[in-house]
Amino acid sequence: MENNGDVQMTAENDDQEEEEVTAQSVLLAIEEAWLNEKFAPEILPHRSDLVDCMLQQITHMEENMKRLDKEDLRLMIHRMELDRIKYVITNYLRARLEKIEKYTIHILSQEATRSSEECYLTVAELQFAKEFLTNIEMLFKTIALQHMPGNFQTFEVDTLTVKPNLQTYVFLRANDRINGIIIPGSMDEEIDLEPGSQHIIQYSAVADLVKSGAVKLI
Amino acid sequence: MYGRKGFKLISELDLYSDILPFNVGCMIEALIKEVLQEMQSLYDANVANSNAIRNDNNMALLPSVQLRHIALKRNKRCILAYIYNRMRKLKELRWELGSILPPEINTNLINAEVQWFQSYNKSLAKYMRSLGEDHGFNLTTNMVPPKTLYVEVKCVEDFGKLELDDGQVILLKKNTYHLLPRSVCEPLIRQGILEHKKYVSMEFPSYEQETQTIQLRSIKSDD
Amino acid sequence: MACCQSYIPDYFAITDILSTEERISCKIEVELPGLGFLDSSCQSENLKVGTKVEFPLWLAEPLKNLQNSVVSVDIPKIYKEGYRQILEADAEVIVLSKWNPFYYELGMHVRKLSDRDYEIITESLLQTFKSRFQLVMDWSQNAMSDPTLSIQLPRLERDLFLIGQQAKIRLVEWLKMGTNELVVSEITTNLKKRKREQYEFD
Repeated sequence: MENNGDVQMTAENDDQEEEEVTAQSVLLAIEEAWLNEKFAPEILPHRSDLVDCMLQQITHMEENMKRLDKEDLRLMIHRMELDRIKYVITNYLRARLEKIEKYTIHILSQEATRSSEECYLTVAELQFAKEFLTNIEMLFKTIALQHMPGNFQTFEVDTLTVKPNLQTYVFLRANDRINGIIIPGSMDEEIDLEPGSQHIIQYSAVADLVKSGAVKLI
Repeated sequence: MYGRKGFKLISELDLYSDILPFNVGCMIEALIKEVLQEMQSLYDANVANSNAIRNDNNMALLPSVQLRHIALKRNKRCILAYIYNRMRKLKELRWELGSILPPEINTNLINAEVQWFQSYNKSLAKYMRSLGEDHGFNLTTNMVPPKTLYVEVKCVEDFGKLELDDGQVILLKKNTYHLLPRSVCEPLIRQGILEHKKYVSMEFPSYEQETQTIQLRSIKSDD
Repeated sequence: MACCQSYIPDYFAITDILSTEERISCKIEVELPGLGFLDSSCQSENLKVGTKVEFPLWLAEPLKNLQNSVVSVDIPKIYKEGYRQILEADAEVIVLSKWNPFYYELGMHVRKLSDRDYEIITESLLQTFKSRFQLVMDWSQNAMSDPTLSIQLPRLERDLFLIGQQAKIRLVEWLKMGTNELVVSEITTNLKKRKREQYEFD
């Protein structure tokens, strides 16, 4: 994407400050978001800012490529690059969909407690989750629940909730220096993380750090 | 003992987990019906007992009511788990084979499952359309990390005409070889219409069998 | 693209439903009117106090946990001291799947039935797993062609074995620097296989 380095885009960072970013840095950011999503047991706050930006970039690149001669070697290289980016985005979004499908009820009930600024799902994901739940309920009702006696007909949301296992162990690399992570299960044993250092630790201890970007899962 | 039929349902699922879980619909429907019947009779007995407890204050009946209640819950769990796990298999098929199911699978589904599949398709399509700016973004291609742009494929089934992204049309006939863009081939290979031919770049020594026992021993002697 | 997670059974977990069907020896502590038929040797209408029955775990556990326990339970012998000692001595040589195909999953339930031995059983399960883990790993990394191995392992270990084997295969592929072969969907393969079988059958 070297020749697209001159394409400047804007994205908002956490401080709501407008910051100039290059396509390359968005790609790096989305790769990190992808790996985090892939390895975290729970669903993470969405990064539709990155996805939208990247998809825009893809359309742009495809337009540019149309202007190139079919025999041009650059075309091959661009195609290849494009396929790789598409793979990352696809895999990232699929990982999220899989979690939504598996933990539907749990995710929806958590999402209901969040304001629109701090929600984890995009509008389309939320819609998808709701439809998925409705469809399962419909399936259960048609085949079984409506034929069950009395109060056993209910679709018991609490019983049917599947929750992610936050006690899963994850590999991580620290982006910043972090002090005083309390090891779960210990009395109050603490560890500090040096920037760039790698660790294996229970996810629940670092969930907030993953979301804030202080560490990345690997 | 209560719950046997429900257990049978689940064992059925477990048994066929690597092959195809979709058994002949009517047999399963019969099994589900039997579980539902057991639930009904448990429920009726509990209603009768509960009335007796309320009216005659016959508390001695309570433990039996509790036992039946546990059995009712178990049966419900077995049925719902059965439906749920089939649904998950069905979902996998959507991603593997696309929105149209092969007839061999379709015939093994009951009506409600077909309905579910269609609704799932619709939701997924709606979601994918929402991505990107205009025409959406397809999540069912690019499923494996790309390494090459073109792949050499052998056509193993007559397929007919295939239009490529650049408008070129090629004819896929059985036993013909083609060099095609990877993204075009991916779904067709998964469906078994094309076969990926790969070059064997170098021989890799196989470390199987013969080293097994030695390695086991050496690891054990360490501790 | 399965998210790999540790084992916590949910409502729909097949292994949990299967493992909780295991029979547990129970003694009836409160008379159960109208349920005499649950004991095949019983002639009377009611299940009398003191009767010994074999109830599945899913029934035994909640009955015991009622405020007035309806049954008292005797935990399966494979989790008792004698068997625990066998595992302590040499867990690796045991064909654990013969003891119970869901040895660990069942154990996690059984320990809750015993107020006295809860911790000891938990510890024993953990130690057993730890000492056999090396074996499972070795097998999955080396014995690519022996399909009988996985049958000797209880479910939890078998699943790890299969995951390990997959990982090994993928590593070898990668070392071959293969061009990331696209493969036919397993489902399609199975469908074709079945079609062929049917054809031969006809």
